[in-house]
Amino acid sequence: MASNVNLTVKLGNLIFKNPVLTASGTFGYGVEYKKYMDLDKLGGFIVKGLSIVEKQGNKPPRIVETPSGMLNAIGLQNVGVDRFINEKLPKLKDVNSHIIANIYGTSVDEFVGIVEKLENEGLVSAYEVNVSCPNVAQGGALFGKNPDNVFELTSAVKNITDKPVIVKLTPNVDDISIIALAAQDAKADAVSLINTITGMVIDTKTKKPVLANKTGGLSGPAIYPVGVRMVYEVYEKVKIPIIGVGGIYNSGVALQYIMVGASLIEVGTANFIKPDITVEIIEGIRRYLDEENINSIGDIVGIAHI
Amino acid sequence: MELKIVENREIAKNTFSLKIENPALFDIKPGQFFMVRINGFNYPLLRRPFSVANFTGNYIEIIYRVVGEGTKILTDKKVGEFIDLLGPLGNGFDEIAENKKIMLVGGGIGAAPLIYLSSVLKNRHKTPYEAFFGFNSKDEIYVDFGSIATMDGSSGFDGNVVDMIEDRLNEDTFIFACGPTIMMKRLAYVCYDKGCGMKVSLESRMACGIGVCLGCVVESQNGFKKVCEDGPVFDFREIVWQAM
Ligand SMILES: Cc1cc2nc3c(=O)[nH]c(=O)nc-3n(C[C@H](O)[C@H](O)[C@H](O)COP(=O)(O)OP(=O)(O)OC[C@H]3O[C@@H](n4cnc5c(N)ncnc54)[C@H](O)[C@@H]3O)c2cc1C
Ligand SMILES: Cc1cc2nc3c(=O)[nH]c(=O)nc-3n(C[C@H](O)[C@H](O)[C@H](O)COP(=O)(O)O)c2cc1C
Repeated sequence: MASNVNLTVKLGNLIFKNPVLTASGTFGYGVEYKKYMDLDKLGGFIVKGLSIVEKQGNKPPRIVETPSGMLNAIGLQNVGVDRFINEKLPKLKDVNSHIIANIYGTSVDEFVGIVEKLENEGLVSAYEVNVSCPNVAQGGALFGKNPDNVFELTSAVKNITDKPVIVKLTPNVDDISIIALAAQDAKADAVSLINTITGMVIDTKTKKPVLANKTGGLSGPAIYPVGVRMVYEVYEKVKIPIIGVGGIYNSGVALQYIMVGASLIEVGTANFIKPDITVEIIEGIRRYLDEENINSIGDIVGIAHI
Repeated sequence: MELKIVENREIAKNTFSLKIENPALFDIKPGQFFMVRINGFNYPLLRRPFSVANFTGNYIEIIYRVVGEGTKILTDKKVGEFIDLLGPLGNGFDEIAENKKIMLVGGGIGAAPLIYLSSVLKNRHKTPYEAFFGFNSKDEIYVDFGSIATMDGSSGFDGNVVDMIEDRLNEDTFIFACGPTIMMKRLAYVCYDKGCGMKVSLESRMACGIGVCLGCVVESQNGFKKVCEDGPVFDFREIVWQAM
């Protein structure tokens, strides 16, 4: 029996066929997943964070497993925006799903430079601005910890593009809704949250941190209650759409994010364990709406607040 | 890919043979590996990488050592149960230098992929080779061919396998090696010294196994390389051993 629930979501001038995206850094450049799933099934996918020049990343060890999670300190290794355009995008020509470029810089000028290079690439539907990166002009403090910096950065990116701009927030702050408001004031089209939570694991044999970088970002199922709580808080304060991310590994957790206010969701670490997990999540959401006699996914966005 | 377990039994101390039905969907190169799912979500979360120790018309064999939570849980899997495998992954030991004197050198559980390599050398390439394996003690030995070295002297050569073979190495030797990183590092230095060639299979912690998480990199002469996708087999000259 064909289901007639409406899973489509509008964001700015874009229409997503369903609310499921994949999270940056967990889906490569999309190309890698082609042999495991049909990319066209996704609402969209967000590519690995792109910097203005190719980045080597941190020394290994870069990852360590934790109970129902993992810490990573990849250090944003990526091919750089030029190689992305020349080598990766051509392989995605036939994809009928939104490709979102996650971008990363250490100064406002770098972010602007990346967007300028991507602006004429029709295959890129939107930008996700990763503000969890050190602002060199400010002595390396994260952009994402300071609302003024987020405002300045978001405004600068918005000024040079008509594509939707999503600001991706770090959870490693006192009050995430203040940062979300700064993004909204700067005319961001959406905010996505959460990025990873900073953590550390010690090797009791060497008596030192396992990761060469000492700290890493915690991701995976263990963090979903933190993400759900933060989306809940942000939904109470901002009017722009929210994209929920953090620990989603099944449709139940995805629906929790939607019910606290996420219009779209991103699946991250779970892609490592089951490369086609997103397809299951989309089907699970559809089944839930069917069973609950809910016509449209939009009807339950933020429903936990009422 | 969910495949049926046809055997899972202890074959040496803390060492198990896991045989899984061959779905006849792919060929496997020696040195390639599978990402094995231990449980459903959520614990343990990540898949575990295991090399192929044998591949026949009937089954895929993995030989694993119990070292932590995941491998402990794996010992409880019963014949007839299904297990989720992703693969075969990685490059494997290809480019067999047939004009050289081939040596397989394995340490501990690192001997596992060399068992499959030996059968391919014998049956497919019809190439002669010698094999040398090092273990801690006699009760850990799970191979039934090759020369053995044990650290406690309970079987074969008394000492480590690198010491056992060092004098035999020269420019005409080509080694296929797998074992603990410290052993591979020592062997690499010996190979530089003796001028022999070597392909080495490396281990590294990995989350995805398919080249996207970038967690498993090692330092090479040309920047970071992914063990899962660029490897796990590398020419030893590619690796910056000082960083290992
Ligand atoms: C390409 C490759 C092939 C391998 N082939 C074999 C094999 O044929 N037989 C075998 O017994 N072992 C093999 N290993 C090592 C095996 O993956 C680990 O022993 C296993 O992951 C340990 O899991 P655990 O949960 O028991 O240990 P824990 O220590 O509890 O694991 C914790 C985490 O660390 C990772 N980890 C721990 N030790 C290693 C290691 N040595 N290498 C990579 N990741 C590790 C685990 O995957 C897990 O994410 C291979 C590793 C690689 C990279
Ligand atoms: C290995 C790894 C690499 C990541 N790289 C990026 C990145 O380049 N840019 C970014 O904004 N987020 C990055 N993230 C964060 C994820 O996109 C996501 O926000 C986070 O992992 C939480 O979601 P999850 O629990 O579903 O993985 C990375 C996460 C992991 C695990």
